[in-house]
Amino acid sequence: MRDKVRKLSSPSERRSTGGRMQVPLRPEIDTGTGATSDERARAMIEIDRVSKRFETSGRKSHLALADINLTVNDGAFVSILGPSGCGKSTLLYIVGGFVAPSEGVARMKGAAITGPGPDRGPVFQEFALFPWKTVLGNVMYGLRQQGVKRTEAEAQSLRLIEMVGLKGFEHFYPKELSGGMKQRVAIARTLAYRPSVLLMDEPFGALDAHTRTRLQNDLLNIWERDRKTVLFVTHSVEEAVFLSDKVVVMTRAPGRIKEIVDIDLSRPRVRAELLLDSRYQKYVVDIERMIDDGRDDAEHP
Amino acid sequence: MTSARNIIATLSPLLACLGLLAVWQVVALWLDTESFPTAWHALQTVPQILGDPEQLLNILDSIRRMVIGFSLAVLISIPLGLAMGRSARVSAFFNPLLMMIYPVPKAALMPIIMLWLGVGDASKTLVIFLGVSLPVIYHSFQGAKAVEEKMLWSGAAMGLNGLQRMLRIVLPAALPEILTGCRTGLVLALITMVTSEMIARQSGAGNILFNAMDMAQYDTVFAMIIIIGALGIVLDAAFDKLRWRLVKWAEPHQEILLGAS
Repeated sequence: MRDKVRKLSSPSERRSTGGRMQVPLRPEIDTGTGATSDERARAMIEIDRVSKRFETSGRKSHLALADINLTVNDGAFVSILGPSGCGKSTLLYIVGGFVAPSEGVARMKGAAITGPGPDRGPVFQEFALFPWKTVLGNVMYGLRQQGVKRTEAEAQSLRLIEMVGLKGFEHFYPKELSGGMKQRVAIARTLAYRPSVLLMDEPFGALDAHTRTRLQNDLLNIWERDRKTVLFVTHSVEEAVFLSDKVVVMTRAPGRIKEIVDIDLSRPRVRAELLLDSRYQKYVVDIERMIDDGRDDAEHP
Repeated sequence: MTSARNIIATLSPLLACLGLLAVWQVVALWLDTESFPTAWHALQTVPQILGDPEQLLNILDSIRRMVIGFSLAVLISIPLGLAMGRSARVSAFFNPLLMMIYPVPKAALMPIIMLWLGVGDASKTLVIFLGVSLPVIYHSFQGAKAVEEKMLWSGAAMGLNGLQRMLRIVLPAALPEILTGCRTGLVLALITMVTSEMIARQSGAGNILFNAMDMAQYDTVFAMIIIIGALGIVLDAAFDKLRWRLVKWAEPHQEILLGAS
């Protein structure tokens, strides 16, 4: 019954839940591996038989995603891993409401997703900062849009800027920052309006190896504080295993889910320990092999 | 070292002007014809023109028309250009029209416009309006088209609706490009201002210039050229200052000056 009501009033319902800023995030102890009877209640995102077809030139259509079924539980860190062009970003955009699926439906807390909303906060590889706003202006933007008073928005944003390690850069413009710093601003900007889900689209893909490692560590530290649901797209196996509770391995185009691997490594995770951990190494090697198998299929059918 | 370089940088426009005047002076002395007065003579005539209330009023008339034509053009062209940049349907409708109008010299339309609107302010302001519109539309269009999709998505996720995204993301993101168009438009406003008055002589700076030409008052002709040139330099410098204030956040990029008129 409740489900039905939610579905009927989906767009406004989603907006109002997203707009409620002060709801503290429930810390999840179990990060959502293994099915339980109340799984439906804890499901944050459900992707139900979603396919996506793009019309290309010459009246041909390209099947980017084929029949994707995936449930992401509240508080889980789930990575979508696959070769480039497998539609993994498209899947993220469908959850974000930026792209509509050709078939199937994506749901957020039971309500069908029909467009973007502040309950799902994206972080893009391209940063997509507002270049005419300072660091503080960027981070405050979402809060101000939600109707938070200027002084309050400023105070909250300053705390976030400090948390992502950019204290002292509040009044810099994006053009004055390095790539890693820009991505820190982008993460703070999205965290600021407290989305229920973070949608991260290869967020560290444009960064050098050193900066990438540092941002991975910092992201984990931030995430382990409030355990927000994260959907994280990447093509790096190590990154996926290091960060996630679950790794969704996708096949080459058309993108299908090849396998879902539960990463059973304890948290908080420390990079130096993990790299020496044989279980971590086994996950990486196993998943790399899965991806290589897919490649062989494609090249020698 | 750096201060010396700074002094050279600030003085170089002045040096360029002085150099041009010097060349003019030498060439005029060498040609020694009545139709090409020396720079010195022309410069001496400038205060005479500006000191004459009637002439000064004429010049102010020109500037008034230019300001009105330019402002109207900017107010209409920026929203149109932005809408074209973000909507394929709007651009499919307007693009062919603009491509047709763009290469037509706007002053060539003056006789027709005069038939409709007479020789007064309306015709001249309309011609200035047309001259300014096209580069501003074009650059607003390009600027809006280049806005990163992901930036708009970020805004949408924060809850900005279509109109808010247009005003608060597309407009500021395209602003550097829009202002490049406005700068070209400003130069074109000056050009169309003079040419419109050449065709419909009634008042204005162009009127003084071409009347003097007819009466073989070459000192006045060249003095007016100096005045119009100086007006151009002052307007451009003022605009550049404004632009720097508005888009100091923008990544520096190569400046393309003066689109085709």
